[in-house]
Amino acid sequence: MSQIAFQSSAVEIAARSVRLFDGYPFLGDTYDELLAPDGAPRPAFHRAMEVLGRKSPDEVRRCQALVDRALLSRGVTFSVYSDSRGTEKIFPFDVLPRMVSAQDWRHIRTGLEQRVRALELFLADVYTSGRIFAENRIPAEVVLASRGYLAQVGGVRPWGGVRIHVAGIDLIRDSAGTWRVLEDNLRTPSGVSYVLENRVMAKRAFPAAFDRARVHPVEDYSARLGDALRSVSPETQAPNVVLLTPGPYNSAFFEHAFLARTMGIDLVQASDLFVDDDRVWLRTTRGPAPVHVIYRRIDDAFLDPEVFRPDSLLGVRGLFRAWQKGNVALANAPGNGIADDKAVYPYVPEMIRFYLSEEPILEQVPTFLCARDDDRAFVIDHLHELVVKAVDEAGGYGMLMGPDSTAEQRDEFRQRIRADPRRYIAQKRIELSSCPTWDGNRGCLVPRRVDLRPYVVSSRSGPWVLPGGLTRVALVEGSYVVNSSQGGGSKDTWVLKV
Amino acid sequence: MISRVADHCFWMGRYVERAENAARVLSATHGLALDGELPAHQCWLPVLIVAGEQPAFYERFGASAAGEEEVVQDYMSWDEKNLSSLLRSVGAARENARSIRDLLSIEVWEAVNETHLWLHGQDARNEYAENRFGFYGRLRWHTELVLGLARTTMLHDQALDFVGLGVLLERAGWTARVLDVHHHALLSEGLGDRAAETGLWLAILRACSGYEPFLRHGRGQISGLAVANFLLLEPKFPRSVRYCVQGAGERLSVIRPPQRDELPGGRSLKRLLNLDAWLRQLELPRTDQSALHQVLTQVVDETAAVCNVLGEELLGQPPAAAPTVAAERAG
Repeated sequence: MSQIAFQSSAVEIAARSVRLFDGYPFLGDTYDELLAPDGAPRPAFHRAMEVLGRKSPDEVRRCQALVDRALLSRGVTFSVYSDSRGTEKIFPFDVLPRMVSAQDWRHIRTGLEQRVRALELFLADVYTSGRIFAENRIPAEVVLASRGYLAQVGGVRPWGGVRIHVAGIDLIRDSAGTWRVLEDNLRTPSGVSYVLENRVMAKRAFPAAFDRARVHPVEDYSARLGDALRSVSPETQAPNVVLLTPGPYNSAFFEHAFLARTMGIDLVQASDLFVDDDRVWLRTTRGPAPVHVIYRRIDDAFLDPEVFRPDSLLGVRGLFRAWQKGNVALANAPGNGIADDKAVYPYVPEMIRFYLSEEPILEQVPTFLCARDDDRAFVIDHLHELVVKAVDEAGGYGMLMGPDSTAEQRDEFRQRIRADPRRYIAQKRIELSSCPTWDGNRGCLVPRRVDLRPYVVSSRSGPWVLPGGLTRVALVEGSYVVNSSQGGGSKDTWVLKV
Repeated sequence: MISRVADHCFWMGRYVERAENAARVLSATHGLALDGELPAHQCWLPVLIVAGEQPAFYERFGASAAGEEEVVQDYMSWDEKNLSSLLRSVGAARENARSIRDLLSIEVWEAVNETHLWLHGQDARNEYAENRFGFYGRLRWHTELVLGLARTTMLHDQALDFVGLGVLLERAGWTARVLDVHHHALLSEGLGDRAAETGLWLAILRACSGYEPFLRHGRGQISGLAVANFLLLEPKFPRSVRYCVQGAGERLSVIRPPQRDELPGGRSLKRLLNLDAWLRQLELPRTDQSALHQVLTQVVDETAAVCNVLGEELLGQPPAAAPTVAAERAG
């Protein structure tokens, strides 16, 4: 019997005789992350689940209230509207952790390292020699038609040979428990600050369970990212690294400030920078200071009005030229959008075979390309059982969930696909795995669907995978959409050491 | 340090200080009005004048409303259109703080954020309704915590110097305006009755947190001239105009050392140091009300001018994305 129970009143002990995971309502045909179908904890998580299982619903309710208040106080928020009233919401955090066994993590880590190495080689190849096209392994037109393709990047070899300094690769788990890559995010993936903040909260909420679980720490992420950014600096003696943000009204501003703070670098806006003689300078109270590495959290299109959008007031005039000349490193590199385009995604296993002569470690989700005649015909006949996605949209937008859709919605997508086939792909809907999640209204645990976004940081010496990641959870009953813009929340992810 | 960031530091300091000063003036005036020695209008109109809100208030509520204490207090506490209301000042302080979240310690940020959350929640409304002095006191407790934590948990580098510069310049202007609005009462003799006059002097002191320091310093001898001298020129009192201007000069001299003529900021520094030198040799005439008014006008104008030149020389362009701050600065 635990010490806590020993100190509790008889009433509380009686309440606790309902064990936390008893009566958990499993979803049919869905893999549950923490519990086996017979209701027992999965063996790999036994140590922590034993402690968690002794919590009463009331204790969990109090823990959830405690962390909600703490998140608000710490200002762990995302901006909802772009107005000066600064409407902000906390990113809903579910107090129950998601766990990943040491064995699963080895599989994920090696798979992600392999994938990012291949994607790096693909980007370098497309923007220099185009070998993969010459050998007919990937059709050039698929890649060159991507909205992410930037002809101006051609021939540029970035410092340290790194283009994907930070990758966020979304993983899901199907009903058999198989890990699959859902999509790659190779431009400005966000969310890692919530991973670090969630850990602070989870330690406060369940210290004993956390201790028993033996979890890999995540706090060194910022130091690793800082090292990686300095490793690609054109100036090696005293590299000046800055983080470029669109500003406090951007939805991810909390994260930008968080990362700048924990890396000890300046958080700058485009108006703070200027380019003179193809070198980048920072306007300071003591005159201009040189800048060598820019971790930019703004899109390619807003980097430099000289190159991308002459009408744009955003961006830094001349920045692109400074990068082309090798006077500044941009992380991530411009033009990466071709490698995380959803229409290019089906070819990633082929990239791995082509560049690395290895078999892909991680599975993908079978995908139909509407640009292919056969695929398109199949998709149009089977919309009711497929998930259709626009190749250049994210955040759960531009999407059709076939099985939940109406006839009108399917008609609309049929027309859209016929009008612009290159823009759409379709996938069979995967029964995303579930994880026990606190339902405050019912006062019990319920299964909610989750994904996992691990982060991969690449320096001059190669990729490193943060042991953890952002577990996003669809808080709405029955939902498959985990995006924060559509009612999603997050959980701490416990990657176990043993 | 980045000019835009320096600007946010400066304005965070100013807004926190502004909220604190407004709360203090409101609290002191509330106490003064309760004594019933002065007509309500004579109590509450000066609050609007000190905050620079008389014209806007008259336009919206009419001149006679300046004698309605609930209308004035509501306007100065909660009005969303009043850039000097507690609600707006705290909101603007937080906006600025959020933009420099990477520079602030977690303690300072939480203190600013908690102030904002409290003021926007039901607790603050209840306290305002049930315990007015408690409400103003609570707000000051919040803002003082912010500034105290800034000193004890942040690096003592340029960021903190700019916060301090904003605080001290805001405070110097505020104290000068409090004195100026009452300059008639301070240097007149035998115009009102003794109790009302003393009550007003003490309220002026309380409005600047100077009541007990004044009594301790002057050993209880109270007169209008002594109050004016104390709040304007006392070098040991941290809210006197002289103290604030000297402190601001010292901060700016660290930010932009006087001998470093190659650095920007020379004009603001010179102007601030001139004001400081002038205040050091200043002596108040015994009974000349208009001379006191001229001195105070000079102080108010010069501190405003220093802020403008500072903006041009060191703080870069106003952040376009923050209309509240930009509008405030233009106004």
